[in-house]
Amino acid sequence: MNVLALNFPEVSHLFVWPDILFSGTAYAINKTVLIYLAAVVITGAIFLTAGRRTGSLVPAGVQHVAETGVTFIEESVVMETIGEEGKKFMPFLTTMFFFILFSNIFEVVPGIQFPANGRMAVPITLALVVWVIYNVVGVRSQGLFGYLKNSLFPPGVPVALYLIVTPIELVSTFVVRPFSLAIRLWANMVAGHLLLVTFAVLTHELWNATYVGAVAPFAMLILMTGFEILVSVLQAFIFTILTAVYIGGSLHPAH
Amino acid sequence: MRNRRIRLLAAPLLALVGVLAFAGPAHAAGATVGACMAGEIEHLIEEAHGDLDHVKHELHDNKKVQDEIEGCFEAPNPIIPEVNEIVWGGLAFLILFVLMVKKGFPAVKGAMDARAERIRSDLDAAEQAKADAQAVQADYESRLADAKGEASRLVDEARAAADQVRADLIARAEADAAGIRERAAAEAEASKAQAIADLRAEVSGIALGAAERVVQSSLDAEVQGRLIDAYIDEVAGSNG
Repeated sequence: MNVLALNFPEVSHLFVWPDILFSGTAYAINKTVLIYLAAVVITGAIFLTAGRRTGSLVPAGVQHVAETGVTFIEESVVMETIGEEGKKFMPFLTTMFFFILFSNIFEVVPGIQFPANGRMAVPITLALVVWVIYNVVGVRSQGLFGYLKNSLFPPGVPVALYLIVTPIELVSTFVVRPFSLAIRLWANMVAGHLLLVTFAVLTHELWNATYVGAVAPFAMLILMTGFEILVSVLQAFIFTILTAVYIGGSLHPAH
Repeated sequence: MRNRRIRLLAAPLLALVGVLAFAGPAHAAGATVGACMAGEIEHLIEEAHGDLDHVKHELHDNKKVQDEIEGCFEAPNPIIPEVNEIVWGGLAFLILFVLMVKKGFPAVKGAMDARAERIRSDLDAAEQAKADAQAVQADYESRLADAKGEASRLVDEARAAADQVRADLIARAEADAAGIRERAAAEAEASKAQAIADLRAEVSGIALGAAERVVQSSLDAEVQGRLIDAYIDEVAGSNG
């Protein structure tokens, strides 16, 4: 593809990675898979190492990362959206936050520079898991009838409006939610990756052509790299807090 | 501590090296349309064990083969997830979730809760110690106040006692002085009376002698004495 006379790579080439092992099978390993595994290793290493340092009164090093994460999830996610009874979801939400965060953050790690959530696999899988969880929680806490009633016929709405509200609620709660959750994360990471590639390619081409002209796109590349770190954290947070909001909504019927 | 740090550094480094070592460059993915078509044809030749006529036949007549080659022009839909990525992504999350539920999360949360509890109990202990110290201070202050009161009472008592002693001493001294004065007066009085008696006796002797010489009579001593006393009293009365 030629954009503005620059050699811009095929968009699919920025996201589809060749298989490294077990090529062509359902368990083929590629770069995306390796990033998922790296996210597991890093998160596991942080928590297992932090968990061993139980004796010290003053947390140090990696303990800070784990404890800040846990505190953040507890105070800014669970307590804000669900409340005290949401604490049983803490391990799930913490795992989710760190897994998404580390899958995302490889977008700016030199030499790797790819957000694993720029592929749809994990976002849609997690979103479907979340969908199952909040529906099961809703049925368990309110009963099937109560859950459906509170979800589809939110109290406090004039009866006539149910004609409009109920189909909207049905589609948004039971159909659209997992996809909006997945696509929000995926699209953000895709867009971020494309932005970084765009400025990197621009910098490269303009450096080859003019040297001086590369200054502006390079400055943007640096700026965007910082921005993408923010986006990586933010998207992990948004995915997690929306999960908590959905679970909270199932635990406490709409007020 | 050092070992732990090394281990901790090793984990992400290993992950990084793993990703770098195994992952090919991005543009290698799917290669180009031409490379894809070449790959398909190569595959056909391999399947036909080098029988090029069979390959030609397949290319011209087999709809399935033609569709596969056609597929080289289609970019993969980026929103459709790959099965292998779902399998590994799901498995990775599951493994991490189990690891976190069983080990990581309880350990970290437990340590945090234990620390919070420890800080809370330390604060309680400090509060208790402060209360104790304040009680002790209050006790000391009250004892100090008592001691001060006691001291001032003792001083007052001592002062009163000293005043008493002084008053007693003064009184005794005054009494002594009065006694001395009295005794002196009595002695003076006695001396005076003695002197008067002595004088009287002497005067009476003198008067007697004089009278004897004057009257030259035979007056007995008793009558003489009476006469003389009467004379002296007269003299004393006239002298005051």
